[in-house]
Amino acid sequence: MPLKFTLNGKEVCLEDVPGEATLLEVLRRKLGMLGAKEGCGVGECGACTVLLDGKAVDSCLTAAWQAAGREVTTVEGLAQGETLHPMQQGFADTGAVQCGFCTPGMILTALDLVEQAPKPSDQEIRRAMSGNLCRCTGYHDVVRAVRRGAKYMRGEGEEQ
Amino acid sequence: MSRFLTPATVQEALEALAQPGAKVLAGGTDLMIFLRQARMNGAELPELLVDVTRLPELKRLELDGPGCYLGAGLTFRFLDESPEARRHIPVLAQAASMVGSMQVRQTGTIGGNVANGSPAADGMSALVALDAVAEIASLEGVRHCPLSELITAPNQTTLTPGELILGYAITPPPEPEGQVFLKVGRRHEVAVSRLNLAACLDRDLADPRVVLGSCFPSPRRLADVEALIKNGKPGPALWQAAGEQAAGHFTDVCGWRSSATYKVPAITRITARALKRAWAQLEDRS
Ligand SMILES: Cc1cc2nc3c(=O)[nH]c(=O)nc-3n(C[C@@H](O)[C@@H](O)[C@H](O)COP(=O)(O)OP(=O)(O)OC[C@H]3O[C@@H](n4cnc5c(N)ncnc54)[C@H](O)[C@@H]3O)c2cc1C
Ligand code: FES
Ligand code: FES
Repeated sequence: MPLKFTLNGKEVCLEDVPGEATLLEVLRRKLGMLGAKEGCGVGECGACTVLLDGKAVDSCLTAAWQAAGREVTTVEGLAQGETLHPMQQGFADTGAVQCGFCTPGMILTALDLVEQAPKPSDQEIRRAMSGNLCRCTGYHDVVRAVRRGAKYMRGEGEEQ
Repeated sequence: MSRFLTPATVQEALEALAQPGAKVLAGGTDLMIFLRQARMNGAELPELLVDVTRLPELKRLELDGPGCYLGAGLTFRFLDESPEARRHIPVLAQAASMVGSMQVRQTGTIGGNVANGSPAADGMSALVALDAVAEIASLEGVRHCPLSELITAPNQTTLTPGELILGYAITPPPEPEGQVFLKVGRRHEVAVSRLNLAACLDRDLADPRVVLGSCFPSPRRLADVEALIKNGKPGPALWQAAGEQAAGHFTDVCGWRSSATYKVPAITRITARALKRAWAQLEDRS
């Protein structure tokens, strides 16, 4: 039986996916979606975070078959053509990206948070982002980035 | 290579689990790590993974009225965010809120937390404080097992391969009650418990519950501490005495190991603090 799910709005269909395969492996190796990263492979770093039906999950801990019939969103699905998603823009504008390895996971986690709390407090941001490690920027910029991205998502302009 | 099955009913799941080499898969936050290691070492994989996350029966939540019940498939994130859980079983809602990261809470379940049998399982400590009795099904039928009897040693349970935990019947203490969960880890978030403590108090101190986790092969109620509280007068002196008794219980069972230098004062304080907070919560509520 083929494995089918929706990836960034498009139906995908894969043959011969073993039961033990992770969603991360399938995204990277079979679907060429390299946004999700393998940092640790054991749920500690969040670099592999994707949205499954809108909720942030570690794709290294999710069996590919658990995505069957569901909607998977990776960072590749966020921009509209040349226009970045407001949360991506928030990260770019605050300098919260250095090497960028952690960034896709950070952005997707932030989207789950903002879906629940459109105007998150810094404490809410810190707590939600605690499963996403960054070895470069330090976390202050990440908190600012999420705050800024959330603001753009509320349609509250570029200023400040 | 493992085959994968997503049953739609409990009966289908039990039939699948009766096959040799079948393994339950829930949130995967323990099992996928185990499979990763097995793959890296070239060890044998389960023949069949049985994904139980789409079984509605495992998502049951009944907290009003007699016969409170929690489905094994409830996730930490659900329990953390559910207003009902926060109101009726704050000890578990708090424990859930302190598990791992948002991503781990999104998929990790209380079924897997218990079945995995870690001495540091936070959900397990809170469930023991709620006097949880697991409802376990297999093709042979259903059995009921208190959590204290389900875990036999670290990461070992009496669960057999064909068995599935459906959920837990729980008995919260009589209202008004105060329930508190505290843990000590290496860092504030995403930390495995070095110690955890679940405490429940009722107005008359008739049915106090004190559960210490990460200290024994599995979290357990401290009967001597509970007896002391029952016969005492609520207040700082009693909470402190209970803390000292809890630490004494730990050294009696585990001996004075190197970690005791740290654990004894930590147990004393975390116990006293949890009881103090539980009492304050109770007074707020009544
Ligand atoms: C980064 C990270 C941080 C963590 N932090 C914490 C923490 O702070 N506190 C804590 O307590 N835990 C923590 N955990 C572990 C916690 O996520 C798991 O114990 C979780 O609760 C397991 O549930 P699951 O649904 O993911 O189970 P799975 O991984 O799917 O399964 C675990 C085991 O239980 C069995 N199983 C699952 N469901 C059932 C069922 N219904 N009936 C019978 N058997 C079943 C499986 O066969 C398997 O053997 C952490 C994990 C990670 C990766
Ligand atoms: S790679 Fe998945 S959490 Fe680190
Ligand atoms: S930007 Fe390099 S890890 Fe975060």
